[in-house]
This record gives sequence, structure tokens and C-alpha cells, in this order.
Amino acid sequence: MTRSARPWKTCIVALLVAWLGVSAVAQIPVSEFEQAFRAIPVSDIGRFVAAAELGLSQPDFPGTEVLQFIDRIAATSHSASEKEALLLSIVVAMEEGLPVEDLVTKGLEGLARGVAAPQIEQSLQQRLILLAETRDLLYAKGIFSVAPGSPQSVPTALPTPRFNLLISHISDTIADYLEGGGSPFEGQTLYQEVRFRLMSLEGVTLIAEDVDLVLKRIEPADLTRIALSAVT
Amino acid sequence: MRPNGIDDILRDTLRQEVTETAGGLVGLEERIVVELGERRPRLRISDWLRQLLAPTRGGRIGQLSVVGATAAVCLLLGFFVANRIGPTGSTPGIRLTPSRDTNGSQEVLFVLPALDATDVAVVGDFNSWEPTALSDDDNDGIWMASIPLAPGRYEYAFVIDGRWWGQDPLADEYVQSFGEYSSVRYVGGGDGA
Repeated sequence: MTRSARPWKTCIVALLVAWLGVSAVAQIPVSEFEQAFRAIPVSDIGRFVAAAELGLSQPDFPGTEVLQFIDRIAATSHSASEKEALLLSIVVAMEEGLPVEDLVTKGLEGLARGVAAPQIEQSLQQRLILLAETRDLLYAKGIFSVAPGSPQSVPTALPTPRFNLLISHISDTIADYLEGGGSPFEGQTLYQEVRFRLMSLEGVTLIAEDVDLVLKRIEPADLTRIALSAVT
Repeated sequence: MRPNGIDDILRDTLRQEVTETAGGLVGLEERIVVELGERRPRLRISDWLRQLLAPTRGGRIGQLSVVGATAAVCLLLGFFVANRIGPTGSTPGIRLTPSRDTNGSQEVLFVLPALDATDVAVVGDFNSWEPTALSDDDNDGIWMASIPLAPGRYEYAFVIDGRWWGQDPLADEYVQSFGEYSSVRYVGGGDGA
């Protein structure tokens, strides 16, 4: 090793140490969730922490936003049972392996608007149903999710983050449609809304072939059935 | 729900305002280049490090001190950055999610005419519904903020003196949320991007 090469190697090692420091802090430990849940406080801490662990195992889990939501709920003047109810939809979504980002965003919006807790809870429950029904629909249409890095058994098995994005956008569109007073029975209108949303995000956050796959396989009647499940 | 004729007129007026403001940027690049040209050339970091690490009378202890200090600075910097993006950061900021931070962000202009307002902010899913202030530097009643956003779809509303206003004339679409309107922008694609 030459004299001039040594300092550079040392600097590289120092940068590596710094990067490890960043990684260690940026990764959210489950203990932070436990602490946040205790601040609510929730009645079944074991269940909530286990759900958080499941969530953290997902590749696209928005841990920072979930923690932010829990902290903001804790800071409200709602009763403990109301606070826990607000969290329940998120917890169920984590347990079911569903994407939680839209639920968290909607919850944060409700809190920011000063909406009453039962109304936020109702909105989150409806969106949870839509997420689960949309996932089931995609499964029924032969569109599956595989963990990133796993072998793709069939062409319609999408990596989990891509699959979850589709679920999120389809269910969010239906939720917005219903919240705007749209009728679940207007399947064609609903389909056009979903089509518009997916096409608008094609090449932006969604991959064109995924959009094409979904739009070819789902039908207006499928969306009517999903919408009805959320309003009945 | 689409904006009516009044909204079109308002949209055109706002676009004209933005265009006129942009006129101040003409020649900016040339002015920067001229100013940079007048500055003394600086030592590059590699030259500076080489000077610091050159054999001196202090010998090995001096070199080790410099390397140690570098490592300490890197560590501090690392922890600072991690705190900014980590869960313990209290500053509301743009969300960092895998689907939205891999592609380049673009500056998105939020503009709202509010002649008698004293405080205008924008809230949305890009800032976790925490207010980001708009400014009206020339006191003409046109409030603006430029926010870097990754490609995607964003819901937002303005908060004018504490009151929410969800029908931005420049929005690509509107949705109803909790019985109120929210505006929607598509960034990096879609209708209005």
C-alpha cells in the first residue's frame, strides 16, 4: 500500500461507519411502536405490537407515517377507546398484509380537519373493506403477489410493492367515488373512474403492463360488487 | 367535478401572474456565471485533504487526528441525516416512501389568490396534512409556495386564516373527503402534470 492510498482507504472506512450509523437509526425498531401504543393506551398491547411486527416485515411498509399517526392520535383529546378504535383498521390491515398507506393518510387528514373520531373510524373501516375486497378480486382474476426477489411462478404474479400499489389505487378510487355520492350500481362509471386513475399514474408510479393487465381482467360488475360490500 | 367558466378565467389570470413572475429569472444563469467567474479559484477537497495529511513534524499522531476527526464528522453527519428522515424527527416533511422517492422530484407551484388573508398554508398527503406556509412577498394578495414532489398523485387543500379551502382552480380534479372538497394534482404524468 502506498502512502497516498492509505488516507483514502481510511476515509472510505469512515464513510462506511457513518452509513452504518444511518442504517441503525433509520430502521424503526418495534419497541418504538410498542412505546407509541402504550401512550394511547391500547387494551391488547400484545396484539398491536404483533401487528406492527408483521407490518415491518413488509417491503413497502410506511413505518414513519404509521408512527406519526399513532402519535397524533395519542395527542388528541379523544377517549382511550375512541383512540384505539381509530387504530384498529390499521392494525387489522397490518395483520392481513394489506397496504396501510391510504388508511394512514386518510386518518391523518381526518385528524387535521378536526373530524369526529367515529366518523374517521367509519371512513377507515370502509376503506379497509375495500382494500381486502380489491385484493380478493385481483386474486380471483389470477393476479398475485410475490415477495421481491422470489421466483415469479406466473407472469401475473407481481412483486408485492407493485401489487399493493394496484390495490391501493383501485380501492382508493372506489372509496372516493362512494364518498362523493356515487352509486355502487353505476358499474360502468365506476370502471371509468378506476381506469382514469390507473391511466393517469401509468408510467408515473404504476407500470404500464400492470395497468393493462388489471384493466383487461376486471369488469364493471366486479367493481359494483366491491363497492356494495363497503356500503352494506 | 370540473371547474366552471369563472374558474377558467381565474386559472388564466393565475397562469399570467406566474409567467410574469418567471420573467425575473431571465438572464439569471448569465449573472451567476459572471459572478462565479470573479471569484478566486478554491482548493479542491482532495488537495485540501492531501495538504492536511502530508507528513509533518507531528508525524503519525497528526495524521491520525485528522482521519479521526473526519470519521467523527461523518458519523455526526450520518446521525443528523438519519434523524431528519427517521421516525423520531419532529419536523413535518415530505414523505419518504419507496414508490415515491426513487424518481426525481419536481418543484410544484401552489398558488392561491387571497386578498384579505393574513395566513395561507397548504396541507396535503405530501406533508402528512401539516401546514406548509405560502408567502406573499409583494403583498399583492397572490400567495405562493413551491414544493418539491416526487411523481405521483397528491390530495391537498389550502388553509386560509384557519379555514380549509379544497377547490384550487389549478387542480387536476377534486374529491370529497369527510364531506369537504380536496384538490388533486398529478405530478410527473396524468392530466395536469
